[in-house]
Amino acid sequence: MKHFKRLFLVLACFTLILCAGCKTETAYYFYTNVPSDGFEIADKNFVLGGIIEGYTPPEVEYPEEDVSNYTTMGYRFTAMLTDINLNVSYDFSKEGEKSRFSEFCRKIVDEMKRFDNAISTAVTYSDINKFNTAAAGDTVEITRTGYEILEIAKNLYSETEGYYNPALYYNIQAYGFGAAQAYPEKLSDLPNDEDVAKYTDLANHFEDLKTECREVENANGNTEKRFYVTKPAYTVEVGGETLSMKIDLGGIGKGYAVDRAEEIFDEYGYNYGYFNFGFSSMMFKSFVNGGSYTVAFKNPRTLANDYYFTTPVRNTKLSTSGDNNQFYIIDGTRYCHIIDPTTGKPVQTGIMSVSVVGGSAAEDDAYTTAIMAMGKEKAQEFIKDKLSDRKVVFTCE
Amino acid sequence: MSLKKIEQVKKDKGFKIFDLIIYGVIALTVAVLFIVIFTTRNTDPLTGIKVYVNSELVFEYEFDVTASADDGIKSAIVQAEEESGIIKVTVTDGGEKNVFEIDKKKKTVKMVEANCKGKQCLYFPVMNDNSDFIYCSPHRVRIEPFINRDDGLIIM
Repeated sequence: MKHFKRLFLVLACFTLILCAGCKTETAYYFYTNVPSDGFEIADKNFVLGGIIEGYTPPEVEYPEEDVSNYTTMGYRFTAMLTDINLNVSYDFSKEGEKSRFSEFCRKIVDEMKRFDNAISTAVTYSDINKFNTAAAGDTVEITRTGYEILEIAKNLYSETEGYYNPALYYNIQAYGFGAAQAYPEKLSDLPNDEDVAKYTDLANHFEDLKTECREVENANGNTEKRFYVTKPAYTVEVGGETLSMKIDLGGIGKGYAVDRAEEIFDEYGYNYGYFNFGFSSMMFKSFVNGGSYTVAFKNPRTLANDYYFTTPVRNTKLSTSGDNNQFYIIDGTRYCHIIDPTTGKPVQTGIMSVSVVGGSAAEDDAYTTAIMAMGKEKAQEFIKDKLSDRKVVFTCE
Repeated sequence: MSLKKIEQVKKDKGFKIFDLIIYGVIALTVAVLFIVIFTTRNTDPLTGIKVYVNSELVFEYEFDVTASADDGIKSAIVQAEEESGIIKVTVTDGGEKNVFEIDKKKKTVKMVEANCKGKQCLYFPVMNDNSDFIYCSPHRVRIEPFINRDDGLIIM
């Protein structure tokens, strides 16, 4: 009996130690259209939810260069309140190449500032601020850059059936994101459903926004193109105030800037390196030591650099959206900066993050935002039907 | 001590075998640590720094890469000003203050001012290679080398 008691105590201690040692990890799911031989799962807490059929890899030509003398130079700066980082591998030992690289960096910086001036809501005379401060139904002149980005936004609004909607400006502000930057701390700080419905109603008139390119004769008698946007006449009344449509193109604007950066890389003949605009948009050329870069997607539920999924990328672009960048939690509910256009509220579809590789970065930015709002089932259908030329991966709780 | 006990101690050997084993293990551990620390140190010239306060990245700077010191600021608690090739970075977290200087030409970093108790961080050697670091324990300010490993892995 005495031995039995001792044995029982020892077994109980072992059980306690084992329980303490075992971490209770939450399993997350990810869905991708990348065939299983095209990626690796790097985090055991992520389980493959399913492979979405239909991915057809695009045919890409890779440079054939002698890279034996190539060294890597980098440049880091800030624009649109975002860190921008570029790396170029080239034979910089050749005469004049280092100063050519400096000229290349200056050109990239100038371009990024130009975009900032066109689409930033923080720049007083930007195209977007001109539009946002105009009266309902008014027409304002904008730059070619602003026009081109608006054209892309309109097409993507239509293609995603409104799941990408840049006119959800008031919803974003009401939930404390965007320029508001004041996160609510309790449920009573959140906007009421009636106001949210009105903001959403206004945003859903984005299709009424008109863009126009006119050919006019300038003072020298030459013909030149000028660009205009007309604000929808629709307004809503909230809190005794009449609100007209406001937009924020920050999301696809960064992607557009990445697309332009690729053109500048090509102009300078830089075939090896990468360019990233924060952590939401990137452009990859070839990697000097091995051809492809390996892109690793972070677990959206940890702050550490734990990544769950890796895949090779080369001569392509990538965009990522997630509910882990700007968010707050009230009573256990997560509120992030991406708004679901069907509810007008922060997305709560269960999708935590979306990454799209391939095509244009501006489009990818809009696709990732739209997929966040679609939910798991609709997202899989959309990826299968519309994004078969791109690698897509999304994670779910 | 009794005479009998003294006689017994005199008869005993200076070192028993068990003592020798323990001394051997200690000597071996010291030798291994010495070899590991001094042969695996990354003594490449300093390429940049990352500054953490309470484990949060507040500033980063890469020599020849970061366009201006302002571009390296990641938190409102950091201020940077540049004069004659020296970037003076001030970290002010509440009443806690640390000031360090980055010499762009010499590619070195040193702590020059702190209002912490003891001020041990001011006595850390000047950082000039990738094995150096500066740590202010009372203010939990850590300056460590920015090592850019170009292994083709991009974490998003």
